[in-house]
Amino acid sequence: MFITFLLILHGICALLLVGATTHQALGVFWPRRPGQTDFVANARGIRPQVYVEAIMVLFVITFILGASVYPTYRVYVRPPLEDLRVLYAIGLFEMKENFLAVMLAALPAYWFFWRRTQDYPQTRMWLTGLLVFSVWFSFIVGHILNNVRGLG
Amino acid sequence: MNKLAARAFPAFAVGFALFYAPAYSFTTGDAGFNWPLFTYFPSVGDFGEIHPGLVAGSDTLGPPMWWYGWIGSSIIAGLVVAAISLMLPEKATMKIWSVAVWVAPILAFIFLLDYEMFWFVPGWMPLTSFLSGGGAG
Repeated sequence: MFITFLLILHGICALLLVGATTHQALGVFWPRRPGQTDFVANARGIRPQVYVEAIMVLFVITFILGASVYPTYRVYVRPPLEDLRVLYAIGLFEMKENFLAVMLAALPAYWFFWRRTQDYPQTRMWLTGLLVFSVWFSFIVGHILNNVRGLG
Repeated sequence: MNKLAARAFPAFAVGFALFYAPAYSFTTGDAGFNWPLFTYFPSVGDFGEIHPGLVAGSDTLGPPMWWYGWIGSSIIAGLVVAAISLMLPEKATMKIWSVAVWVAPILAFIFLLDYEMFWFVPGWMPLTSFLSGGGAG
C-alpha cells in the first residue's frame, strides 16, 4: 500500500516535471513572437530561466521517489515480465533509468549555464533539449510499465 | 564560486556520463569487469543487503540491483574529472566544457542504446561488444 502511494506520488511529480520542462523548452525552441496572443503563444511566452530551480527540485524529488520504488519493481515486476518474455518493457525501463541517471549528473551544469552565465546559449539549448527529451521519454515509459504490470 | 562551478559542474557531468555508459554496458558482459560500487539485494531481510562490488544474484540473495552501484561509482568518476578540470586553465578550457557537457550525454545515450537494443531485437550484438567480450544482460 505504501509503495503504491509512493508510485502515485512519483507519477504526480513526474507530471509536474513534464509541464515545467515543456514550458521551458517551448520558451527556448519556439518563443512567442511580438503580437501573438493566442493560447499556445501564451504557453510559449515565458521566461525560460524562471523554471530552472523548479525543474531541478522536481527532477530530484521525482528521481528519489523512483529510486525508492525501484526495488519493488526489481523483485515483483521484472521477474514476471522476464517469465512472460515481455522484454521490450524491461528494455524501455532500462533506457529510462539510464537516461535519467545521466541527466541527474548534468543538473548542476544545467543550473550553472542558466543561472550563472549569460554566455553559451547553445549549451543552454542542448541541455534543455536533452532534459525535456529524457523527462518525456521516462514519463511515457513509466505509464507503459504501469499499464503492463498494473498496481497491486 | 562561479569560476569553480564553470569548470567543475560540466566536468562532473562529462565524467559521470562517460563512466556510466560503459559501467552499465560492460558489467554483465563476460569480460570480468566489476564496475558498480556495490550490489544491493532488495529481497534480503526487511531493508535488503548491500555487498561491495559486483555480486551475482542467487537463490539465497535474490535478484541483484546494480543501478545504485553504477550511480555511486559514476559519481566518483565525475568527481575525479571535476577535480582534474580545476587544475586546467579556465580560459583555455571553458569553451571545451561548454560543448562537452551536452555532447557527452548524447554519446552516452547512443552507447547505452546500442547495448539496450538486445531487449528489442533478438540476437542483437552491440557494435562495441568487442570491448566487453559480450553483450549486457
